[in-house]
Amino acid sequence: MKVSFRWLQDYVDIDVSPDVFAERMTMAGLEAEKIEHIGDSWDNVFVGLVRGVSQHPDADRLVLADIEAGEHQLTVVTGAPNIAEGQKVALALAGARLIDAYADELKYKTLKPGKIRGVMSEGMACSEKELGLSEEHEGIMILEPDAPVGVPLKDHLGDTVIEFEITPNLVHAFSMVGIAREASAVLDSDLRLPAVADLSNHASDDELVMNDAPGLCRRYIGVVIEGITVEPSPSWLTARLTRAGVRPINNLVDITNYVMLETGQPLHAFDRNLIETGRIVVRRGRVGDQIETLDHRIRDVDESTLLIADGQKTVALAGIMGGVDSEVVDSTTSILLESAHFDMVNVRHTSRRLKLRTDASTRFERGIDPELARSAAQRAVRLILDLCPDARVVAWNDTYPAPVEQRTVAMPFSRIERVLGIPVEADTVLDVLTRLEMQPTIDEENDSLTVHVPTWRSDISIPEDVVEEVARIVGYTELPATLPTGTTPVVERDPLFLLERFIRRTLVSAGLYEGRSYATLSDADVDQWSTTTSISLTGEIPSSNLVRLRNPVNSERPILRPAIVPSLLDDIATNLKHQTQVKLFEVAHVYSGTGEGELPDEPSHLAIVMAGHRHELSRFEAGSGGHDELDFWDVKGVLDTLFDRLRVPATYKPVEHPALHPGRTSQITCAGQALGIVGEAHPRIATGYGIEQRLSVAEIDVTVLMALRPDLDGMQITADQYLPAEQDFSIVVDNDAEAGRVEEILRRGAGPLVTDLVLFDVYQGGNLEPGKKSLTFRVTFTAPDRALTDKELAKNRTRIERALSNELGASLRS
Amino acid sequence: MTDGSHGLSARINEVREQAIEELKSVSDGETLRDWERKWIGPKGEITSMLRSLGSLAKEDRPAAGRDAQALRSKLEAAFTPVQELIERQQMERRLAEESIDVTLPGRRPDIGAAHPISAMIDELIEIFAHLGFQAVFGPEVETGRYNFDLLNIPADHPARDVWDTIIIDDPAAEIVMRTHTSPMQARTMERLDPPIRVIVPGRSYRYEAQDASHEWMFTQLEGLAVDTNITMTDLKGVLQELARQLFGPERRVRLRCDFFPFVEPGVDFAVDCAICNGKGCRVCKHSGWLEMGGAGMVHPNVLRGVGYDPEKYTGFAFGLGFERLVMMKYGVDDIRAFNGNDLRFLKKFATVTI
Ligand SMILES: [Zn+2]
Repeated sequence: MKVSFRWLQDYVDIDVSPDVFAERMTMAGLEAEKIEHIGDSWDNVFVGLVRGVSQHPDADRLVLADIEAGEHQLTVVTGAPNIAEGQKVALALAGARLIDAYADELKYKTLKPGKIRGVMSEGMACSEKELGLSEEHEGIMILEPDAPVGVPLKDHLGDTVIEFEITPNLVHAFSMVGIAREASAVLDSDLRLPAVADLSNHASDDELVMNDAPGLCRRYIGVVIEGITVEPSPSWLTARLTRAGVRPINNLVDITNYVMLETGQPLHAFDRNLIETGRIVVRRGRVGDQIETLDHRIRDVDESTLLIADGQKTVALAGIMGGVDSEVVDSTTSILLESAHFDMVNVRHTSRRLKLRTDASTRFERGIDPELARSAAQRAVRLILDLCPDARVVAWNDTYPAPVEQRTVAMPFSRIERVLGIPVEADTVLDVLTRLEMQPTIDEENDSLTVHVPTWRSDISIPEDVVEEVARIVGYTELPATLPTGTTPVVERDPLFLLERFIRRTLVSAGLYEGRSYATLSDADVDQWSTTTSISLTGEIPSSNLVRLRNPVNSERPILRPAIVPSLLDDIATNLKHQTQVKLFEVAHVYSGTGEGELPDEPSHLAIVMAGHRHELSRFEAGSGGHDELDFWDVKGVLDTLFDRLRVPATYKPVEHPALHPGRTSQITCAGQALGIVGEAHPRIATGYGIEQRLSVAEIDVTVLMALRPDLDGMQITADQYLPAEQDFSIVVDNDAEAGRVEEILRRGAGPLVTDLVLFDVYQGGNLEPGKKSLTFRVTFTAPDRALTDKELAKNRTRIERALSNELGASLRS
Repeated sequence: MTDGSHGLSARINEVREQAIEELKSVSDGETLRDWERKWIGPKGEITSMLRSLGSLAKEDRPAAGRDAQALRSKLEAAFTPVQELIERQQMERRLAEESIDVTLPGRRPDIGAAHPISAMIDELIEIFAHLGFQAVFGPEVETGRYNFDLLNIPADHPARDVWDTIIIDDPAAEIVMRTHTSPMQARTMERLDPPIRVIVPGRSYRYEAQDASHEWMFTQLEGLAVDTNITMTDLKGVLQELARQLFGPERRVRLRCDFFPFVEPGVDFAVDCAICNGKGCRVCKHSGWLEMGGAGMVHPNVLRGVGYDPEKYTGFAFGLGFERLVMMKYGVDDIRAFNGNDLRFLKKFATVTI
């Protein structure tokens, strides 16, 4: 809400600077989001009186204006079409800094006297744009007739506009008076309420308003005023509206807007002669009801909509916007003024449904004080009577069957200390709560504090609310800092997080960078990556398991990702424009629906993507034939290391996936459970992401990994006492035998003393039979309690040989 | 003295002269080893001389043996410095040959870097562990009940508008992307009994247009402490500890009244700017303060909602954004950088020790 510092002082004296004021209000809960100083740059600009205007001798379009401002008397050459004798204008003297109205961007220029078509122009009459007040530059700014001549314009029109953020609880401060009321409590300065007309002097007309929906309309005040003249508002009124960001229209509409800004109560004025049968009916909508609102749109109405109608037709969407059929226009001579209280939830629903938010609806839907309707109506009547000399109240009615009751909060006085942690003196509490108009009483002996909550403070209902009132006015600055005492709860560490952190750290030391990508995917991504064998590795993802967003921020990506890999791919091509090597991973939740009304499963996944050169450019690699491409083996190697460290014995098996290379993709399982997938992207898919290099990926289910990880707690980890024995085994098998299978058999045959097993050579050709290959492993044997003897090792070798020959028909090469 | 002994004595002189002469021309390891083998080695001249003592008259043998031994000692004494010299020369030659240009670049291991948000999460978990807070984690997709209702944000209340919510397309229930990590307040209190001290790091989501300072996916840290005697001064103390650990021991925390439905009283908290020491600079937008997040005392309705007696227990809660924290600490000026996977950005954090 934009608050003019000048206007605010109608209601409260503020003896600190606007900046200090904004700061103190902010500390008390009304955050000043923006402070705009108007007129700070208006040096050498004065209120001037146009003494006379004459034609420029040599230019048809220019005039010479004699302008007086105190001791300054000067002639100004101007082309402004609206200048006339007797006007008050903003007169800029030489040296004034003004906004260049013809520049495309904000630029200041310093005014210098100069000849225009042969006549010396000693100053300038300014437009609003040149003063930074608006974009208006058609003519010069005309000040109100009572503007004091000779006074610096800064003193006359300068102001500070503070934009306060009104949080949902602070509806009582959503007005000038509301802000003033807060200011009066914060600054301990008296509040002055605006002058009103007392409606109770007039006889009430019970026929004027019929409220058929008292559940949705708690109060309805109608006031009929005759003798209205619709005309432009006086300049003080238009100036205040403009400064608050409201466009002036005519005196009637301006008064309703002004009172809304001033009091927080939305008002509406109907042309009384267009209210058929002369009475207002408040009712719910019916099938077939329609209304054309002031924005000239036809609105469909349903039973949930609260309407204002007359004897025949609908005249307003209650609390939101009036209808064109009863609009106040220039010819209007009598009005029906509405000041009502509408149900906040209903206004909110209707406003949402119709996608129509107005100044009125934003106030009603926050829940304003029903008591406000009366004072606001009386204020508006007062202003109408002031501005239209012939106006008179001819009828009025206030239907308010269930007046709001004032709440009382009774609480232990010690609650303040219990919540804040420090005691606050009873006198201070009394003073603060009195400033907030809460009529506090304190009985320290009986540990009691009682307050009577003003009706406008709908946010205060429990003792803690009262504690906050005390704290925010006293301020938190002096609050000491302590640490919680008492028993410190046992800190248990989340095992999944620890595993994720282990993975992150391992992968970082393996040269990968951790990335982070958005949680949503497009339909195309999902189609491409999970049609048959899904990358989420839980088998095919039925489309019902996909979690869809109703309102995705990016409408092209409406699906919560079932896998991470696809969301990293867009960024690879971008990176490859400036990186020779991309090695990224991400650990994050993925989402799998579990049925309507249920939360989805959110397993944790690890994704790895690699593309580009295996080695960063360096003098050590240059000799070895340039740049090898990162490929399947690089990703798999990282996984091998990871699984080794986690002691999870993973098994690899070739698998087909529509997005992956048919010959370079492997499923990863452990103990019969799917753990993940590793492979190179199908070149067609990679190209689709703008990647011409090999693109290698892996996706691992970390939640499954955690379940498979052996419990190592209490495991004895000791340094080996005896030297290990290393033996090489060259195993000759058929070309199509899987190394994984050979390794499995070798490992089994080698027995429990194996501490390390590495396949370090794959050999074909030479003296091998055609169709055979030789796989060479180095196996390290270590016994915890003895040095191994040649005899033992030879026995081992025989056992291995037998196992290989029995199960694979393989032979050992010596 | 016999003839035989004369002959040997002449031989000794001859050997001495010849050996010493030859030694003078030895210039490398190989010729030195040849010399050693020829004269003083186990199959060398001295040895064969000693073996030939048997052919001498018995009385001549001791003197001849002494002479031969004396010759060996003499030759060995002459040999040692030459050997040392040659070894030294050899070593010098080797070192000279192996000399390199030490200004050439080294052989670098590949090391990556953690994401700055992950690193900051690790750091905050560590800081809060010292204060007795345990890290817990929860789902990113939440029910309206946990995300709003149990946090004292009723349906149809304007306070619900503050959170622009991304909604799951589910006809049967109100299921949303969590708009904050606060749902874990209720989940934690339902699971544990007081005393409770937890932090909840995690991704959160809001329906928000993206720009340099707004992101629809971001990372929050929730904090919650509940016990019989938790107060606002404790809240200030814990936040101050956080600020000091992150930004230095001189830092102060400022609380300001603010509104969040699930706390009462509610505050926002800021730390005085470490760059200008609170005097005002470009980083703190000339305010002297950097806003960190929201906090307050757990609202009695929240305690009641999970079955805690608000007359018995009090608690504080706070929330802050990791992105903002990293932006503050390292001057990152565009929040979208955190989700862009741009290696140029990520690599810069490899130099930072968070
Ligand atoms: Zn600063």
